[in-house]
Amino acid sequence: MLEIKNLHVSVEEDNKAILNGVDLTVNAGEVHAIMGPNGSGKSTLSYVLAGKDGYEVTDGSVTYMGKDLLEMAPDERAAEGVFLAFQYPIEIPGVATMQFLKVALNSQRLARGEGELSTPDFMRLVKSRAETLKVNQDMLKRPVNVGFSGGEKKRAEILQMAVLEPSLCILDETDSGLDIDALRVVAEGVNALRSPDRAMVVITHYQRLLDYIVPDHVHVLSKGRIVKSGGKELAQELEKDGYANYSDEAA
Amino acid sequence: MAIATQKTAAETAYLEGFDAGGDWLAAERQKGFDAFAVTGLPHRRMEDWKWTDLRQLIGKAYPPAKGGAVGDIDALAAKCPLKDIARGHLTFVNGEYDAGRSQLPASGDVEVTALSTASSALPIGETAADPIDGLNRAYVTDGAFIRIKAGSNADAPLELVFINSSRAEATFTTRNVIELEDGASATVFETHMGGHDAYVSNSVTEVRLGNGARLDRVKLQMEGAASYHLSNLKADLGAEAKLQDFTLTMGSATTRQQGFITFNGEHTDATVSGAFLLNRKQHNDTRLVVDHKVPNCVSRELFKCVMDDEARGIFQGKVIVRQDAQKTDGKQSSHALLLSPTAEFDAKPELEIYADDVVCGHGATSGDLDENLLFYLRARGIPEKKAKSMLISAFVAESFDDVDNEAVRDVLKDLADSWLAAR
Ligand SMILES: Nc1ncnc2c1ncn2[C@@H]1O[C@H](COP(=O)(O)OP(=O)(O)O)[C@@H](O)[C@H]1O
Ligand SMILES: [Mg+2]
Repeated sequence: MLEIKNLHVSVEEDNKAILNGVDLTVNAGEVHAIMGPNGSGKSTLSYVLAGKDGYEVTDGSVTYMGKDLLEMAPDERAAEGVFLAFQYPIEIPGVATMQFLKVALNSQRLARGEGELSTPDFMRLVKSRAETLKVNQDMLKRPVNVGFSGGEKKRAEILQMAVLEPSLCILDETDSGLDIDALRVVAEGVNALRSPDRAMVVITHYQRLLDYIVPDHVHVLSKGRIVKSGGKELAQELEKDGYANYSDEAA
Repeated sequence: MAIATQKTAAETAYLEGFDAGGDWLAAERQKGFDAFAVTGLPHRRMEDWKWTDLRQLIGKAYPPAKGGAVGDIDALAAKCPLKDIARGHLTFVNGEYDAGRSQLPASGDVEVTALSTASSALPIGETAADPIDGLNRAYVTDGAFIRIKAGSNADAPLELVFINSSRAEATFTTRNVIELEDGASATVFETHMGGHDAYVSNSVTEVRLGNGARLDRVKLQMEGAASYHLSNLKADLGAEAKLQDFTLTMGSATTRQQGFITFNGEHTDATVSGAFLLNRKQHNDTRLVVDHKVPNCVSRELFKCVMDDEARGIFQGKVIVRQDAQKTDGKQSSHALLLSPTAEFDAKPELEIYADDVVCGHGATSGDLDENLLFYLRARGIPEKKAKSMLISAFVAESFDDVDNEAVRDVLKDLADSWLAAR
């Protein structure tokens, strides 16, 4: 589904290199965890996959479902099924959550040549997804993320994901800022979306989330490169030994 | 205020076109003319007019005129966005009362008269040392006089409609008075529409609120694209009164609108807010002077301004707190969103405070759309154009929250959305 080859990325502003040759292949149905110390380039990788401006791909390629992902606009990528749950979801004052979700879903459907969802069908869909994720109606009435606590913002991201039903889910530190109960709810929501034709890339700093969302593959990102890959036991190893072997300080 | 040595074509046309007339307004017109004859049109060397040099901007002669409308007035009348919410209408076409397009409320507590139909003198307001007021007084042809008797309410909205459409260059001048006696309340809409040929529209509204009175006023400025819109709001507020004023400016090539709000009685609240939606080379210079003469009053001003293409928005807001006006709470803010690199916004906030126990502040921001917000929407599949529209609409709509009437807020949102859809 996703094939990243020798990806080099630098910041447009100051030419600072952040990703230095990332290789990663993700097949449908798989869950990959990317772990790594702060500043190793995890969020940058997720932004480049989602299509954020400000980064320059200096080498390498990203193929998604057989297409050149890097050629597509962010909204095209979303319509093709790429979803990024942001590490820091931002507040959008004045844009109502329900309106936002409806425009997002119907824009994607239109782009895919599907018909728009009627308002009652849309309401039913959001309501059922919100119940599963314990997102209350009051949150849905507010502008997007405005006045949400850190945990509520993360849950709202997963709600968006559940409503939009993407093919490739990239979760950037969705676990940070969640207490154990919220973590469990979010993990259940994510697990409910696991399916043979959907893939997930779960970015996390801690092994804890992976107790709930069990990955097929674990990768360690350090200084902009994947330096080690393995099964779920690699996460436990990291939990025990920390990132000392991979961080700048150790080098 | 130097006497202009050489008269411009526009000034000459005004001076030569003067006719005091023989009605009850003759003496007022003469006062206005005398003031105008001294000052002429305002120009950039006058501090408050540095961004809007009318002597230069009004290049041609626009002689004072009345009536003689051309074009499809019915179509313009049908386009008035608030017409279905209003319960009474008073329509003026090219500065002339149009009885056929007016339906007045039938209530003895609500007095509504067109100035031209009044048989005796009505109080149209003291002269002010202001060029727009002088011109307006000199050439006023008609307008609405509304008086709500003490304790009664006219909350069913009354709409004043001004439609200007002329092939010949001309100036149309109207003057309105809204007088709410003690404890009275009213909702008044002002809708300014116009045809596409150039004209000057000069419209002044005098508001007098008695003690405990409340006025909700909503003005839509949708004048023709080639026109000049000059207008004043002058509001004198009694004690424990409330003024909620909102102006949406979308029309005209050049707009200068001014608000003079004076607190004369304690425990009064005034909110004066608005939005600009400007494109092409539209120019809107809005100036407000809020004068706290007495203690314990609250003033709020919020303007959300969107400028596209080469449009230019200006917000000049002055809050004066007199020595006696302790416990004044005055806040003013203007926020601009620039949608093109050639759009421009200038803000000149001024606080003039002579009392020591007050809470006053102002804030002005200007910038383009937040890239991070835009990316968030696009990452969810919303195409760029739609994502921008949603953010711009959300930006402007913040000012609509100052309008209490939900149906009016919906109309304002629709107007903003159709403006955005046409981008
Ligand atoms: N827009 C940017 N401008 C400059 N430096 C950046 C930018 N984005 C990320 N970086 C730098 O790139 C490195 C990787 O950041 P990031 O991808 O956020 O790491 P992680 O998510 O793994 O903590 C950090 O050193 C960070 O400071
Ligand atoms: Mg990060």
